[in-house]
Amino acid sequence: MSEATTTVHRNRTILVADDEAHILHVVSLKLRNAGYEVLTAADGEEAFEVACATPPDLVITDLQMPFMTGLEFAARLRANPPTAHIPALLLTARGHALSQAALANTAIREVLSKPFSPREVLAKVEAMLGGAPRADAGADAA
Amino acid sequence: MGIGTRASMIAAAAGAAGGLAALAVSRLFAGDAQAQAIAGAVAGAACVAGAVAPFGLSLQRGVHRLRARLIAERGEAAALTPSWLKPVVAALAEAEERLAAESSRAAARVRDLEIRARVTEADLRQTAAVMNTIRDAVLVTNAYDEITSANAAAARLLGFRLPDALRKPVASVIADAALVRHITAARTTIAAGDRLQVDHSIEPSEPQPPEAAAPGPEPRLSIGAADDPPAASSPPRGETRHFEVTLAPLPGMTADPAGVVTILRDITREREISQMKSDFVSQVSHELRTPLSSINAYVEMLVDGEAKDESSRAEFYAVIKGEADRLGRLIDNMLNISRIEAGIFSMERTEVDFVAVAKQAVDFMQPQAALKRISLLHKSGPLVYTAQADRDMVLQVMLNLVSNAVKYTPEGGRVTVAVENDDASRSVMVSVADTGLGIPPDAIPRLFEKFYRIENYKRVAKGTGLGLNLVKHIVETVHRGQVGVTSKVGMGSRFWFTIPFEPAARAAA
Repeated sequence: MSEATTTVHRNRTILVADDEAHILHVVSLKLRNAGYEVLTAADGEEAFEVACATPPDLVITDLQMPFMTGLEFAARLRANPPTAHIPALLLTARGHALSQAALANTAIREVLSKPFSPREVLAKVEAMLGGAPRADAGADAA
Repeated sequence: MGIGTRASMIAAAAGAAGGLAALAVSRLFAGDAQAQAIAGAVAGAACVAGAVAPFGLSLQRGVHRLRARLIAERGEAAALTPSWLKPVVAALAEAEERLAAESSRAAARVRDLEIRARVTEADLRQTAAVMNTIRDAVLVTNAYDEITSANAAAARLLGFRLPDALRKPVASVIADAALVRHITAARTTIAAGDRLQVDHSIEPSEPQPPEAAAPGPEPRLSIGAADDPPAASSPPRGETRHFEVTLAPLPGMTADPAGVVTILRDITREREISQMKSDFVSQVSHELRTPLSSINAYVEMLVDGEAKDESSRAEFYAVIKGEADRLGRLIDNMLNISRIEAGIFSMERTEVDFVAVAKQAVDFMQPQAALKRISLLHKSGPLVYTAQADRDMVLQVMLNLVSNAVKYTPEGGRVTVAVENDDASRSVMVSVADTGLGIPPDAIPRLFEKFYRIENYKRVAKGTGLGLNLVKHIVETVHRGQVGVTSKVGMGSRFWFTIPFEPAARAAA
């Protein structure tokens, strides 16, 4: 990744949702070290509240969380007009069991299987944010 | 000897006929028309029978014998017959012989048919018994798609009354259109000797009136009886049931099949078990991958130099160690449960001092309790409570129970471990009581299931849902003890277990 990408990071916000505190911590740290603003949530319900209050540029969510799963959370993001455009990356131990049909009508654009690598997560995030900038994201970058 | 004399002798020999009959017969037979004489004798005997009621039956028999003798001696009688009557008598005699032969053949045939009918009936009853013993629903239809036989399981499952349904078109008896299509299509599409298996689901139906569900009176040779053993299948209520349907054509006299036999096997439970197995595998893999995921991620962060200072690095090392321990405990728990379930565990049975073990468990858990300012107490008298048990396993049980109590008790609460004797069951009883969240009544029956966790409590504390399952296995399977819980939401829970003093005490009970 070039210098240009790094500069783009500066004002990008990413919301990370996971009920495993260690995972939440390590992913957040990796992203913060790369220059992103990071918001965190310990379950789907909390994540949705945070996303509505402070719409992030991207969401990273675990699949199995209490109260609301990552899939439900991503579906609500998509169904809610103010957050409908936010892309999501799903982290899951059950990546292979998920069908395309299950992901349809959700915000999920990419899936990473556990055990995952923080490097991979960062690379995916950069590809997702840099690869197809949205109109508003492009304005941010400009 | 003249006819009259012979007749009277025979009549006398018949005994019961008595003098009156003999007199009447001899008088009549003195006439010259033999035919008249026979008819007269019979008529006379009938009169006498009416007159001498107590002797009626014997008299009848006597007359019959008399008549038989007369017929037998017809040859001699013929000699006395006037010549003009001879052809008539001969024709009569011939006709009578033919009649007798025909009659005996018919009687033999009737006997034969009766035997065959009894054999067939016995065969049918056996077939019916065999069919009704089968738990699968079995239905046979003929070339016109009419039901020719069905077992009790089929009647119950498909909701028809057996005698009523016989010889009726299958489509008019069975409401399930898809199943009817399978049956009618099978007759023409499946080659003789082949069979077709299809999956079929039956949706829950409205409960039937009891009158319709009960088998009606049985026609003699139909299959299905009121006293059948209960079959596995019954009209589905409340849940969709899954069936493996086997269809096979029945061979007929011509190339076309004579009908179709349809067997519905309920595979709902098998499906559930296979679902449980696959859930178990995915649950295990999730539980194993979560700590592994953390370990991988933190190691990579260290390698990449993402931990900027010594304190972050120390924190990372601690996370890695903690997650590795968690992984180890998880694997141990799972292996222990599997070993106990498979019956391949090794236990070291010694005289265990339960108070000492309880103190050890309390000491071990004290740091965790202190973090939440929970007072963790051990409360036992000065007595010594011992039983034959595996010390390590008992410690594991106590640690699991105390650890749960600390996990689910809010800050500032109290956890109490007590050891006592339960003389009634000749056991040592250990209880762990807390002032924690308590357990909802609907969760209690499932609490000791593998991987079961109370949904709303997942956020309160981490866990795999294996701890209590292992407790149950160690106490009940390995030590033949008992485990239980009483709880009140918001007030706390009390888990207890008993271990018999002597290994044989419970095993023999």
